[in-house]
Amino acid sequence: MAAVTPIHDARLHADVIPPDPWSDAGQSGRHRLRRHWENSPRRFFAHTWVMTARVLRRWIRDTATLVESLVMPVVLLVTLDIVLGDNIKAVTGDSALYGSVPLMAMVGAMTGAMVTGISLMRERTDGVLARFWVLPVHRAAGLLSRIAADAVRITLTTLVVMGVGMGLGFRFQQGVGPAVLWVLIPTILGLAFTGAVIALSLYAASTVMVELSEGIWAVLMFFSTGFVPLAQYPEWIRPVVEHQPVSCAIEAMRGLSIGGPVMRPFLEMLGWSAGILLLCALPLAIGFRRASKRG
Amino acid sequence: MTSATAGLAEGAADSTSNAMSHAIPTSDRPPTSTATQWWVLTIRVITPTLRNGEVLTQIATSIMFTVGYYIPLKNIMGAFVVGMSYGQYLMPLIALQAVAFAAVSAAFRSATDSVEGINKRFKAMAIGSLTPLASRMSASTYRCVIALATALVCGYVIGFRFYGGWLHTVGFCALMLLVGVALSLLGDLIGVSNENPEATVPVMLVPQLFFGLLSVGMQPVERFPEWIQPFVRNQPVSQFVYALRALAGDSADVPGTVTWANVGPALAWIVGLIAVTLVLHARASTRRN
Repeated sequence: MAAVTPIHDARLHADVIPPDPWSDAGQSGRHRLRRHWENSPRRFFAHTWVMTARVLRRWIRDTATLVESLVMPVVLLVTLDIVLGDNIKAVTGDSALYGSVPLMAMVGAMTGAMVTGISLMRERTDGVLARFWVLPVHRAAGLLSRIAADAVRITLTTLVVMGVGMGLGFRFQQGVGPAVLWVLIPTILGLAFTGAVIALSLYAASTVMVELSEGIWAVLMFFSTGFVPLAQYPEWIRPVVEHQPVSCAIEAMRGLSIGGPVMRPFLEMLGWSAGILLLCALPLAIGFRRASKRG
Repeated sequence: MTSATAGLAEGAADSTSNAMSHAIPTSDRPPTSTATQWWVLTIRVITPTLRNGEVLTQIATSIMFTVGYYIPLKNIMGAFVVGMSYGQYLMPLIALQAVAFAAVSAAFRSATDSVEGINKRFKAMAIGSLTPLASRMSASTYRCVIALATALVCGYVIGFRFYGGWLHTVGFCALMLLVGVALSLLGDLIGVSNENPEATVPVMLVPQLFFGLLSVGMQPVERFPEWIQPFVRNQPVSQFVYALRALAGDSADVPGTVTWANVGPALAWIVGLIAVTLVLHARASTRRN
């Protein structure tokens, strides 16, 4: 008969036995177990990182996200260049790419957010959110991990679109610093859009969420200065087109690449992003909590 | 077992069956015809759309496609269109995009059904193998009708008119709905095959926008770079647009001539697409049994 191997565990030795978690007589409830409390700030970053990695792994293995985030904006960019490129160059004198490349980076940011919304709905239906809610996971990690993962996705999408744009003739004429900021702009506004789509997905029916978010990004795409120049829109709609969030982002990106005003459109875009996130913050938190407790 | 107990058992069985037949008389049992099953399953898909705002979003997206194409492109593209208003020129593409968008919803719905296991449940029930598909197609046609009606109203606002007779008008609507059914079948196949609701939307949307933009629906074929003109001229969306323009007419002076040359290729594309999709549907359903 084989000899039983003794278990060598440092915790068995008296000098390293952890203090009794129940010995804090002065504290009550979950705070008594301070070392094990999942909502402590120390746990926040670790848990968010693990959950973000989980979301990113799921996306890498999922064809839908890759198609939605990478293939769609690239196909649309090439198509728009074929269809509108010459017409816009004839009107403005500049290459249409300085509007369409930023536009497609924004489209990639917005359409990918929809996949985030649908996957969140599926996890709610499958009971995954409820399962995480009863596990010792930081309460904010579930929601913030999706937003963090989206930031990674949007940045990668922007880099891919930028690469394809450069292949078509797009160039940075303002140096490296503006180019780095150019890449970050879609991430900033894209995260605001992600927040809005997630909020929508927590309250609306699945098909409605898909159709509404598709409708919203299509309107923002068609009525932006990246689709056709501002002067080509009827006069009555120009103020709307000029000051809508995607146009602000595109104009800032145009300024950072070919030259032109940057500060005003950039600040306007930041204002839009902050406004959207502030508007969605409370519904997001309440909706996510409610969705997690269901099931 | 003795003959007496056997007789008792038989008697008990008879009395039980008699009691059951008295409890639910045959005449009162709900009919289980294929038509009834189809209707019930169709209503199952349609009813939620009236409650959850799906109809409103369908109408909104049709309006969005109209204003989204017409307002930005009227000035930049309208100059190249000769013999008709840009609204008249653009309308077939707007209607096609609206109907195609309705087909995206069909794909999403079938993928959701697949992933939730409803299709497997139907296969275990006394339901005809094509009945669930037929019901989903009916619901998709209902969506396409809403999309088409909204697109026509929007088209009227931007200057689109039917210049042919009533027969041409009916033909226009019928062709649009046929395209809708073909695309819905394709979407349904994609949804059933991949069982991933997230995947259906991009897989349907990328071709929709790609073929829509690279078609004669937005600008004449001569305006495209020479190397891509053969593709633009012969791809399915362009063929649908040619047929729809012929049925709608160009202006009051040119009511549009409907010939096999301009309607035939569109019908061939539709029939081919439906035939191929049905074959693939049959294969997908047998593979999953």
